[in-house]
Amino acid sequence: MITPAATPSGAVTTRPRQRFRQLRRHPEVIVGLAVIVTWFLLALFAPILAPFEPLEQNIQQRLQPPGETHRLGTDELGRDVLSRVLYGGRITIPAGLAVVVINSIIGWLAGAVAGFVGGLWDEIMMRIAELFMAFPTIILAMAITAALGPEIRNAVLALVIVRWTNYARLTRGLIIEAKTKEYVEAARSLGAKSPYLLFRTLLPNSVAPVVVYGSLDIGNAILLFAGLSFLGLGPEPSSPEWGRMISIGIHFFDQWWMWLFPGLSIASLVMAFNFIGDGLRDMLDPRTRH
Amino acid sequence: MPLYRYILRRVLFSIPLVLGITVVAFLIANAVPADPINANLPQSALNNEQLVAAFREKWGLDQPLHVQYFTYLGNLLRGDMGVSIRTGKPVLEDIRQFLPATMELATSAIVVGLLLGIGFGIVSAVWRSSPVDYLVRVFALIGVSFPVFLLALIGLSVLHAQLGWVAGPGRLSFLVTRPPEVTGLYTIDSLLAGQWSTLRDAASHLVLPSLVLGLYVSGIIARITRSSLLEVLNTDYIRTARAKGQLEVYIVLRHGLSNALIPVVTLLGVLYGNLLAGAVLTEAIFAWPGIGRYAYRAATSQDFPAIMGVSMLIALIYVIANFVVDLLYFLIDPRIRYS
Repeated sequence: MITPAATPSGAVTTRPRQRFRQLRRHPEVIVGLAVIVTWFLLALFAPILAPFEPLEQNIQQRLQPPGETHRLGTDELGRDVLSRVLYGGRITIPAGLAVVVINSIIGWLAGAVAGFVGGLWDEIMMRIAELFMAFPTIILAMAITAALGPEIRNAVLALVIVRWTNYARLTRGLIIEAKTKEYVEAARSLGAKSPYLLFRTLLPNSVAPVVVYGSLDIGNAILLFAGLSFLGLGPEPSSPEWGRMISIGIHFFDQWWMWLFPGLSIASLVMAFNFIGDGLRDMLDPRTRH
Repeated sequence: MPLYRYILRRVLFSIPLVLGITVVAFLIANAVPADPINANLPQSALNNEQLVAAFREKWGLDQPLHVQYFTYLGNLLRGDMGVSIRTGKPVLEDIRQFLPATMELATSAIVVGLLLGIGFGIVSAVWRSSPVDYLVRVFALIGVSFPVFLLALIGLSVLHAQLGWVAGPGRLSFLVTRPPEVTGLYTIDSLLAGQWSTLRDAASHLVLPSLVLGLYVSGIIARITRSSLLEVLNTDYIRTARAKGQLEVYIVLRHGLSNALIPVVTLLGVLYGNLLAGAVLTEAIFAWPGIGRYAYRAATSQDFPAIMGVSMLIALIYVIANFVVDLLYFLIDPRIRYS
């Protein structure tokens, strides 16, 4: 789990060669990147790579263990687990990405305005953020999805509502810190007005840390989305979404391939994002850099 | 600052937060696209005009939104969270019934999490950059990356189905009768009643879910303990202790750990929240009749009074847990007292 404080803005200023040398000292970052790129490619080319259609049923072949024809076995309706796992990436990965992208845009703007305007607005904003943080994420997301109706779009929306506060707090801190910097003072003394200062001077400088934090947060978003989906609050039951496949697989506990492979898919992807997060945190933390 | 002033200040700060929680819960309950009467009353009650009218009046549904909120708050203050559509019982009564199971699970999970997390964190920091350190870091990564439901299924499949070391889902085996209720925690109740076989059975059922849930938080605890202990071990007073020739074990545990654990204590409140959230998924798999499973079943059957009741309860527990943590923090870190 990565905290906003763990991604200082200093990250952006490291020179490329130095950064590459650091990267070599952290093989876990490279492993993480390789796993993520592999998953992206697998999901992208799923229609070519998958041996069967993800929804294609074959009752005679139901509950087959992994073998020649069905490398990862078949499910209760004779659907090919490998094909479903490959297609599953096309739901879970974009959902995780969507949550993080929307979260970061909303949180970034809200946090920036709170940090820049300060005073009452800042106070209100931060109290609201605190409020959202008091609710355990998955329970609040569960309540919202249940209210809106179980659907992929609503699960994403619920996670956005619950999680934007992390980004708002991060950006707010960055803006408050940047406000005291000399370049901001210089712009102000040159007669820059507030909107110009916020949108042209401060906001562009807070993009990089938010992007870094966001890219490390995708793992958490995927885990939460899969959790909601596991609880039946995401896509419809026939969908080849990983969390959903596991929740159906539970009813066929002895047919371990039905739940293990989608489970490992989630775990490998989330672990890859955490590998990168851990490595980056070590690289960016001056205390552990040398 | 004296302790009582600190407590008073924290209580005053918590009031708006608690009120805010009720507002959020109310707004979500109101965001239900369906008619609140359809969403809140069981099908059988919908044809009964008297019941519908009584419900409308009780929750002030013909009033403007802010009036409805105050009605809702008033009912809440009287302990009325509405009636669960699925169980047909008052939500508060349901919560009272299901909460002990979750408390039992969460408490044993936090013990497992702390033992494993702090233990691994120490090992990892003391033997930094060694193979042991890498192993522990991979373990911590598994803890935070593996979905709780996958860990649960692997645990059930290996430890229960294959090896038969621990009991499977549920709180007690089929033929075992419940111990007489005192606390609602089966392990404690059977201990109090002196029913040893029941105690063994309840403990055996508790092992796997608390291990799974404990593993989930131990990853976070191990990471924090490691980084915080590494920082402490680099300080001057540790060097002084070493120069004095003190035993390394004593230095690490007495001087190092007692200071390194402050961030872990600070995080306990948040971790407890994580744990309760993780409990939803764990309880769903282990058929553990706790508040998490209750919330899950409420969410999947559109039982809004129940799900809002649970959300609010957990948010309140979270606020209280953080309050207790702040108090602990006040007691263990003298810097707060003087600020």
